Amino acid sequence: MNHSGAAGVPRGGGLRRAHWAVLGALALCLVLVGGLLLYLSPVLALLDNHDLSPGKPLATPAATPPPLDSKQRVNILLLGSDNDQKFAQDAVLSQTMIVVSIDPAKRQVTLLSLPRDLWVAIPGHPSAKIDLAYKEGGASLARATVEKAFRIPIHYYAWIGLDGLVKVVDRLGGVDVDVLHPVLDDNYPNDFSGSGYGTERVYLAAGPQHLDGRHTLQYVRSRHGDLLSDFGRSVRQQQVLLAMQQRTAGMDLVTALPSFARDLNGHVKTDLDLVRLTQLMLFMRGLRAGDVHQAFITPFVRDAVSSDGQQILTADWPAVNAYLRRLFGGDLLP
Amino acid sequence: MRRSPAAALMMVMLLMAGCTQSGAPPRDPGKVVLPVKQVEVPGRLYATKGRSLYRFSGTHLTKLLAGIKVKDPAVDASGAQLAFAQLQDQSSTIGICDARGRNLESITPAAGPEGKLWAFAPHYSDDGQRIVYLTDRLKQPSNPQNLRPNDLAVFGQDLAGGPARRLVVPVAYTGGDSDPALRPGANDQLLYTTYLYGGAPLEPVARLTWMSLRTGARVYLSPDGARNFEPALSPDGRFVAFVRAGSGSDDLYVMPLAPSFSREAQPAPSDAALLLQAGIVSEPVWAPDGSAIAFLMLLKGSFDLFILPVANEPTLHATGPAKAVTHGSFLDADSRLAWSP
Repeated sequence: MNHSGAAGVPRGGGLRRAHWAVLGALALCLVLVGGLLLYLSPVLALLDNHDLSPGKPLATPAATPPPLDSKQRVNILLLGSDNDQKFAQDAVLSQTMIVVSIDPAKRQVTLLSLPRDLWVAIPGHPSAKIDLAYKEGGASLARATVEKAFRIPIHYYAWIGLDGLVKVVDRLGGVDVDVLHPVLDDNYPNDFSGSGYGTERVYLAAGPQHLDGRHTLQYVRSRHGDLLSDFGRSVRQQQVLLAMQQRTAGMDLVTALPSFARDLNGHVKTDLDLVRLTQLMLFMRGLRAGDVHQAFITPFVRDAVSSDGQQILTADWPAVNAYLRRLFGGDLLP
Repeated sequence: MRRSPAAALMMVMLLMAGCTQSGAPPRDPGKVVLPVKQVEVPGRLYATKGRSLYRFSGTHLTKLLAGIKVKDPAVDASGAQLAFAQLQDQSSTIGICDARGRNLESITPAAGPEGKLWAFAPHYSDDGQRIVYLTDRLKQPSNPQNLRPNDLAVFGQDLAGGPARRLVVPVAYTGGDSDPALRPGANDQLLYTTYLYGGAPLEPVARLTWMSLRTGARVYLSPDGARNFEPALSPDGRFVAFVRAGSGSDDLYVMPLAPSFSREAQPAPSDAALLLQAGIVSEPVWAPDGSAIAFLMLLKGSFDLFILPVANEPTLHATGPAKAVTHGSFLDADSRLAWSP
């Protein structure tokens, strides 16, 4: 009789062991997930930083981002601004507007620069330079303006301030750039001291060199000494983006991502989620130099003066649209 | 596209499993690093790192001019005199000293009626009596409300005395000219890089320019619509080494220069002029006996010093592979090299 009882003891002990094993596994999972969350917390905090200032609703894309497992094109509007002391928070022009278009099917990326002085229709506002859209309505209005003017569906946006760029480049250990012209600017804005209205003298020699964050910012921002002014600056901005992409090629993203996120917190706003961000970083890291194409609408714009006397650029829209059809094929909005 | 946080977290974990890579971006070690198998440097070869001046000689490395921020070292043909750009707060001057770094003096002002001044890229004539350099002297005063060009121009100065003289007026809003060098054996001939915009739509262009200082006549040695820069003349003045930007690379080229100055159109450098295609090359300089060319090359994220042996019979060609003098040292690739006996 005891036999059954004796037999029952080990069965009960086995159950307890199984319970402990399950509990142990759960605890291990909790520790792992907790550790992962702790590790990812800077990244999650960064990605939670949307453009949510009063009167500027969270940007909503006209087109739903394609599923993660699709091979459809993903377009990100990259915005760069002064974020210095001269301006009220969230009342800055977008000095840089680049559409980063990622085509997973062809394993290609196109960088399309939009000139800041381009005269466009801004939804809900009078026509103005395109850089005003971000100041008036944040990322939402900048996105809507680009979608309306260029028919490019913008699935995500990312805004970065001056400090952010400096910190990203320094975190990368600098970038290697072939400076296209000597850069001389006796009136370069010195945003990081005093009133923010000061100027400083900048010189960068032409030719290949290694630039730290501060000098990279000078390279992409200076325009006073460049005959091509904002066009020249657009070329330099794309050049630095490519250099940054090349620099990340050999990086260990697992250890680098939280450090980047900590550096960038407060200097970046985006509606990219963690999964998409990681997916895109993986994709970008696998690209070769020839997979990234630079695009400009420079040939299709001309200087003009607005009715209120501003120096602006006007576009030959049929030519711009034809160019965009060549770049984006059937991926434009109807 | 809404996913549960747990699913997203799982996705991230899976994605990151593929992200790990042992490689990290190379970092500046903060010092000049010599490879285990050291390369013997004939004569004295000067380079800068972190704006400090270093001399490579044999297998010895010596830091010179401590406490001074240096760019663009130059040395006269005898090796007795050094010149360099001395960097200050938003200005620079041309300094000269002896080969040991003593008897330092500035030969250009840090400021003038125009405001603060830059001065860079000194280069000695082969007799050591004259120097050419870049400066923004004679620019017009500028402020944010009234922007004026402040491009760098090539100036010349006799070291025995006499005023500095502007030799070339740069094209406005190009950044100006760069890399001036007097031709050995013909100090009335100047080579430099002209920065321009060309093509349609306009793009940055860099052209090798040959100038007669006697007549002021100039001729381009390289075609429009390309970027050819940093000319370096061989010690006998017969060849020009230079950098040519290609698609994703900056290669080392070399071409012969006619014995006397000619305004006739020069043939564009042909593919036969290619000496080294290895990625990104910068700042070539010839050995004093013409038997090698030193340059900086980007390798694994660091600009390092290399020496390529060359011979000029029957045509100029490399006689062996380029050898690394430094390793992972992050030398200043925007600063010229100088080489003396």
